[in-house]
Amino acid sequence: MKTRIALLVLSIAIPAGAASAQQGGPVQGSVALDAIVAGRCTLGPPSRNSIPIGQLSNSSGARVGRLATIPDQQISLPGSWCNFANTTMTVEARALVALDANPVQAGFARAVNYTSTVTNWAATNAATTTAATVAGSTPSSQGVSSIHPEPKLADVTLILNNFTVPSDGILVSGAYAGAVTITLGPAS
Amino acid sequence: MNLLSLALAAALIAGGATAASAQTTAEAGPFPVTGNVPNLCAAGTLTGGGTAFDLGILSNESTGRMRRDLEATPKILTAAYCSTASTITIEATPLESVNNTNAPPPGFSRRIDYSATASGWTNVAAVYDTGSTSNPAATQSRATAFQGDITVSIGTFSTNGGDILRLVADPAYQGIVTVTLAATT
Repeated sequence: MKTRIALLVLSIAIPAGAASAQQGGPVQGSVALDAIVAGRCTLGPPSRNSIPIGQLSNSSGARVGRLATIPDQQISLPGSWCNFANTTMTVEARALVALDANPVQAGFARAVNYTSTVTNWAATNAATTTAATVAGSTPSSQGVSSIHPEPKLADVTLILNNFTVPSDGILVSGAYAGAVTITLGPAS
Repeated sequence: MNLLSLALAAALIAGGATAASAQTTAEAGPFPVTGNVPNLCAAGTLTGGGTAFDLGILSNESTGRMRRDLEATPKILTAAYCSTASTITIEATPLESVNNTNAPPPGFSRRIDYSATASGWTNVAAVYDTGSTSNPAATQSRATAFQGDITVSIGTFSTNGGDILRLVADPAYQGIVTVTLAATT
């Protein structure tokens, strides 16, 4: 091992000595070593890849046909991290909207709004509440966390709650679909 | 040879550093959020004074024949709704004597026919005539989800067998009107 190191020093010294054209004494040179660690963010593997809520409306009782009580929905993303400072979490949500696009009659609605929150990244969570109309228009919304000033490794959780229907209308029947996307990256 | 190797290594390090200098963003999702609302109809709340049409005394006390001025306050099914396309159907049974069920003697009848109507749900009201053997208008359709009031009324009374017949005495004549809302799948 020592032999190898000596050879390496010698190899470096040769071009330096040649460049200075000196005779006799030791010569020295240097080689710069340049490296970098790339800035990177990773979201951990989600605990599930979809949120199937099932039946949205009550089948009986005083609120028959209207939105049922829907419990909080969660997706965990353990081991999420960024190795650089000043990062934000962003959550984009699209309200649940009926796939049946026919115009709704008075008293009905074809959208279910909800709040999406991603916890445990910055001091202020990324959160947004969709605000679709009874007809299902303007379903999308976005929320951004505060800036986290340091690299971080954390278990983050997406929580969906506060489900509501515009004007508390009667929900038209059929399938409903929405979506939530989480983005972790440098603050813009 | 060693010099060449070192120089090459330095070049590789520098090149790699340049390519990886950008900060990357991570994205998860989109996570689909799904739900469903079943086809559902509700008849609403019955208003209009009790659950029965009260016609009072059916016969003219001097002639014994059916009164010509029979009428009943309509019933309202308030805030009925269907969450999808639907049909409304009305059915009715004739007013018949409850206690005296014997076949009436000549000149008498124990049955009053009438028409029952459900309006407000469809453009054309659903109508059922208890004196008719066929009631194609008893079922009407609408193509959209709807919420509204349904007015249920009865009228056009007639003595079965002819208005010349007299009604047999009985403390109770009874018939039933049924309104059905059904989701169209």
